[in-house]
Amino acid sequence: MRRTAIALCLALCAAVVFSLHAGLTFYTPQTVFAALMGGEGADALIVTTLRLPRTAIGVVCGASLGLSGLLMQSVTRNPLAEPGLLGVNAGGALFVTFGVTVFGVASLAGIGVAAVMGALAATALVFSISASTGGAGNPATTLLAGFTVAALLASFTQTLLLIDETALETLLFWLSGSFSDRPIGLLQLGVPLLLIGAVGSFLLATPLDVLRLDDASARSVGVNVGVVRLAALGLAALLAAGAVAMAGPVLFLGLVAPHLARRLTDGALPSTRQLIVLSLLMGALIAVLADILARIIVAPGEAPMSAVLALVGVPMLIHLLHRRKGLAA
Amino acid sequence: MMAGVSALVRLLPVMLLVSVLTLAATGIGSSFMPPDRVVAALAGQGSRMDEVIVWTLRLPRVALAILAGAALALAGALLQRVVRNPMASPSVLGITDGAAVGVVLFLWLFSDQANNLTVSIHWQPLAAIAGAAAFGALVIALASLDRGSSKPLKIILYGIALAALAKAAVTLLIILGPVYRASQALTWLTGSVGAAHWQDVLAVGLGLAAVIPVLLLQRLTIRQLVLDPQSAAVSGLSLDRAQVCLLAVAVFLTAMATAHVGAIGFVGLVAPHVARIFHGQFRSGYLFSVALTGSFLVLAADTLARIIAPPLELPAGALTALVGAPLFLYLLVKGRQSHA
Repeated sequence: MRRTAIALCLALCAAVVFSLHAGLTFYTPQTVFAALMGGEGADALIVTTLRLPRTAIGVVCGASLGLSGLLMQSVTRNPLAEPGLLGVNAGGALFVTFGVTVFGVASLAGIGVAAVMGALAATALVFSISASTGGAGNPATTLLAGFTVAALLASFTQTLLLIDETALETLLFWLSGSFSDRPIGLLQLGVPLLLIGAVGSFLLATPLDVLRLDDASARSVGVNVGVVRLAALGLAALLAAGAVAMAGPVLFLGLVAPHLARRLTDGALPSTRQLIVLSLLMGALIAVLADILARIIVAPGEAPMSAVLALVGVPMLIHLLHRRKGLAA
Repeated sequence: MMAGVSALVRLLPVMLLVSVLTLAATGIGSSFMPPDRVVAALAGQGSRMDEVIVWTLRLPRVALAILAGAALALAGALLQRVVRNPMASPSVLGITDGAAVGVVLFLWLFSDQANNLTVSIHWQPLAAIAGAAAFGALVIALASLDRGSSKPLKIILYGIALAALAKAAVTLLIILGPVYRASQALTWLTGSVGAAHWQDVLAVGLGLAAVIPVLLLQRLTIRQLVLDPQSAAVSGLSLDRAQVCLLAVAVFLTAMATAHVGAIGFVGLVAPHVARIFHGQFRSGYLFSVALTGSFLVLAADTLARIIAPPLELPAGALTALVGAPLFLYLLVKGRQSHA
């Protein structure tokens, strides 16, 4: 387990370093090193103002979504739970769009607050719908509810944007879900939220371990199931909100990262604490890799990272659906 | 005979609604026209200006909305019957997005350096049909390979997954493709009847007309599909062939509509349910009622989209989602509670 984490860490470092080199023009290590050491010139400018920020944002965003997906999956015992598919990201996006178009919000703090509120509201909506269908949160029903809520929220966002054309120009790019051309200041928003999420999940790790049993057994060993579930979902929403504020709505990352992390544990039953570490690393790694791919596959253009992730995420979703025979029962 | 009469009586209100809305939608626009002038222009006795506005600008749009709405609604009703799930619809099952993939792929493959199409644009609906059929077949194949239980629900989940895949493919193709074509594809993808011409109307109309004989021939099957598989087998219905035939019709209708008006979602989901409430799904004329309801929904959405924030026009697809999504959630909650 420790070895897996170290290997993932190394892979992440390699991906980050490669991300600084790769793009429309590939740089030699000397150029990148010189740029990082405060070199001057066009190449140095590209490395420090374009590639470094997008890589950093990718790492933070990926880690947030990976952990958010893990929390949602373990708390609802639903292998399909994910902030993107469940409409949480769409909720954050709608509130940010609403804030920008109607209230003229421009500050980072304002955008952050809007994203957090939207993500929390969407989480509450989706999970209360799924709970009201009887049989606490059937995976398939939750996914359907989330999918529909996401479609609804996205159509609200679309309508708002069409009415306010100036906002359309500033927001359309953000809404496509990507790490490029984001102000580095966004990290001031994303890093604290990621820290809160990570520390909070570590604190919840033991009750979450117990929650893997059924609710009754968890209660019998003194876990307050309702409180733990609410706290974990709240943390998941916070993490997703941070990612949305930075990169726009990104789908599938939160689904893929925890599952790949579980795969890495060699069939041993990993503790929640181990899964948290692995999901954080895996999320960051996938995000950076997807971002590199997005830069390369349609060069000289740039593919939306969300599309790249969907190409990986959909086969995985189908695989999960196929494997879970009793899913809809 | 009596059944026919009572079905007709039930159809009257929605027919009336569609006609009134047609008059209103033809009158509403950048220059408002009261109904009497609209009627005069339609009868060929209005002023020259009025006639030009009505016949070349507004009527094609209204007619296309009516026909596309009917096609999407019928496709939804057929899918819900065949898949045996009231939550099925062309967009939920990924068929609409499949058609979009077909069209964007077509624009990409057959554009030359100067952004001109190297083949006639009239092949575009064919590309839409191919894309829709491919994705429809994929969803069905995935669901039938699935050995697990509760296929009606699974098929919807596979549909959602494939719809996401199709959306990603469309985005990538648009970015890869020529810029001019990209902007054209984007306006079309939002789902709008704004750029309607008489030839679009003709194409969708012919498509609908071609489907009617098939539906008439299969009307018994369609009604019997509501039964569970066992009782349908006992009553001697070769379900598989009938199902495939109806699926093909649904795919064809979806593709025709999507090729001409883009991805207008949720109509195929909502219309069958509205018709079920106001008409009854076992009465004769149910499919007719479904089609009229679909026409009404798209026409109403498009008219609203024009008057909410003039001179801007919202895509009709955004408005149909506002009605359709809450209904879907309601069905989800209600259906599950009754099972539990």
